[in-house]
Amino acid sequence: MTSERHPAQTDREREESALRYSEQNYRLVVETAPDAVISIDESGAILFANPATARIFGYDPTELIGKPLTILMPEFLRKLHENGFSRYLATGQRHINWQGTELTGLRKHGQEFPVEISFGELSRDGHKVFTGFIRDISERKQAEEMRAAHARQIAVRADVSIAFGKEESLKTILGECSEAIVRHLDAAFARIWTLSDDGKMLELQASAGMYTHLGGPHSEIPMGQFKIGMIAQERKPHLTNDVLNDPRISNRAWAEKEGMASFAGYPLSVGDRTIGVLAMFSRKQLTPDTTETLASGADLIAQGIERKRAQEALQMTQAELARVSRLTTMGELAASIAHEVNQPLTAVTNNSNACLRLLAADNLKPEVLRRALEEIVADGNRASAIVTRIRGFIKKDPAEKNRVDINDVIQEVLALADRELYENRVRLERQLTKALPLVFADRVQMQQVLLNLIMNGIEAMIAVTDERSLWVESRVDESGDILVAVRDSGTGLGSGADRIFTPFFTTKASGMGMGLSISRSLVENHGGRLWAAPNFPIGAVFSFTLPVSAGSPA
Amino acid sequence: MTTASIVFVVDDDPSVRSSIKFLLSTVGLQVESFESADTLLHKKLPDVPSCLVLDVRLRGLSGIDIQRTLAARNIQIPIIFLTGHGDIPMSVRAMKAGAIEFLTKPFRDQDLLDAVRVALEQDRARREKEVEVTDLQRRFDSLTAREQQVIAMLVSGMLNKQIASELGTAESTVKVQRSRAMEKMQAQSLVDLAKMIEKIKGPSEKAS
Repeated sequence: MTSERHPAQTDREREESALRYSEQNYRLVVETAPDAVISIDESGAILFANPATARIFGYDPTELIGKPLTILMPEFLRKLHENGFSRYLATGQRHINWQGTELTGLRKHGQEFPVEISFGELSRDGHKVFTGFIRDISERKQAEEMRAAHARQIAVRADVSIAFGKEESLKTILGECSEAIVRHLDAAFARIWTLSDDGKMLELQASAGMYTHLGGPHSEIPMGQFKIGMIAQERKPHLTNDVLNDPRISNRAWAEKEGMASFAGYPLSVGDRTIGVLAMFSRKQLTPDTTETLASGADLIAQGIERKRAQEALQMTQAELARVSRLTTMGELAASIAHEVNQPLTAVTNNSNACLRLLAADNLKPEVLRRALEEIVADGNRASAIVTRIRGFIKKDPAEKNRVDINDVIQEVLALADRELYENRVRLERQLTKALPLVFADRVQMQQVLLNLIMNGIEAMIAVTDERSLWVESRVDESGDILVAVRDSGTGLGSGADRIFTPFFTTKASGMGMGLSISRSLVENHGGRLWAAPNFPIGAVFSFTLPVSAGSPA
Repeated sequence: MTTASIVFVVDDDPSVRSSIKFLLSTVGLQVESFESADTLLHKKLPDVPSCLVLDVRLRGLSGIDIQRTLAARNIQIPIIFLTGHGDIPMSVRAMKAGAIEFLTKPFRDQDLLDAVRVALEQDRARREKEVEVTDLQRRFDSLTAREQQVIAMLVSGMLNKQIASELGTAESTVKVQRSRAMEKMQAQSLVDLAKMIEKIKGPSEKAS
């Protein structure tokens, strides 16, 4: 373009021409820019607005000339702007970033919308002029918001699913669900009630956010009463963005003091049954995204509760069955246990009576008394250890898994069965591998499985007149699991081999036929396997495996 | 009770064994204890009044097995059984087989002491009787065949005359043989002699 330069032009003419060109160029840019371009003077009055201003703000550029810039801002920003602007003029201190700051704009018809502004200043005749670019970022913001809402929904659903995947109590799981709602949906607090078995009472199970206690007046709400009871009864959500004027929100003074804006309550339903209520209060307005997330979260929680309860019911039945089977085993052991407890008791009684007799005859020497007392103490401890062992074995508590050394369990069970082995003249051989990795197991249940296998082994050898031998072995198997095997020299599996694990199948006169079936389900609940095979040359071998506990030294 | 008696205790539990020994020692009894039946049966039992305190449930031979083995060997030692639990069928069997007592652990000390006293007295009486019978038998054996014959007839209630006629000898001969036999047997009277013969012939009929 400089090639059009005319040789007759003076330097000044050339400068003027260049300036004119530059001005035209800027004008073109400003007039066609998609962003609003607005200039103000030091008083904040608008000097210039480009055509895009009309599209973005709804004002004709000419009607804005001379108007204060604050006309384009919502009320809450005006004071802020004026203070910042005058401070800058006085001190040169900027109160906001001049490039790419996100603020809120106000359209002519009153709608607020997000804007991104960048501006600069220049001086003319000693006065400052500020020019800014204002970009409408509504669409960008909306897209961001949608992504965020979607992410929140996914996060809530994920956290709820994770919570229900844990082997925790229902209360703990629901606690995590309510925490997820508070965390992702910005609730002031969220609560979950479940309906009692008789369908009359909603019982508070979880509370997260500003209130976390489960006691107090909200811990039990009768079906059909108050907002929570009504949600459950009507089986319809209750949503409000105006808690202060909602007739169902009873504690208005509290809501006002805490600045609560919205309430959302959803029934927890499975099919046509209501099983509880999920509710939250928020200091912010509910958006469709929030309610959608809550609705889907409520569905997920309801299904989770239902599944968890079914699981618990199954586990309780199994636990009860296991306990009954343990009691049966104990009944079979009763004679030898009675004997074992009575031995130390007999010794205690004899030693005490002997001392009393010597005392009555004035013939009790301290040395004799001391020795007798020492024996009494030792026998007392022995009796108590037996009782503890038995009590531990028949306790009712549901599964309680810990890291366990299976060799310890084997030794405990052999102690319980000791008398039985002894009286039946069974030769016991321990083949225990030392320093085995630990397993994650319920000690009592593993005792039960082992005792069952050992008692079965003894029973299978009653008809055997030759040497009766029982081998108990522990080792790591080929796949790295812990393997325990109980081998006997008894009559073998015979024709019932394929049925021995079937409930109520028994070859014993007094058996319930549950032992092996329960033992197998107990082992399987631990992630292991239990099976039977013939032993050579005679007898049977029962083996079970248990996975090694994570973090166990291999 | 005299120290000349001894109580044998068989229990596989060392603390029960020693406590029984301690208890019996407080009344001055001598006690010897064993952990199994085998050790007891291999022992030559001393020839003094004694009794056995036996646990029913033992490793190897049970208490009942010991009772049977002793009976088979004709060793008549009184037995007191101990059991860890009230096993009624077993106690019935043991008592029928002549046990003195069947005590359930833990037992009253007096019950055991009473049972031991009864057992030792019974054994002492049996031994005394055994000694007497042996002595009488020895005297009886010192008689001639004819004298034994005469005595047997006398005890059965026959008169001198009847015996003489039965044996085909003179009544005076029978009288001589009779007085010689009475003297050898150290019998004071015919009734006395009759009692002696009864003791020799039927000791088992009156035994416990």
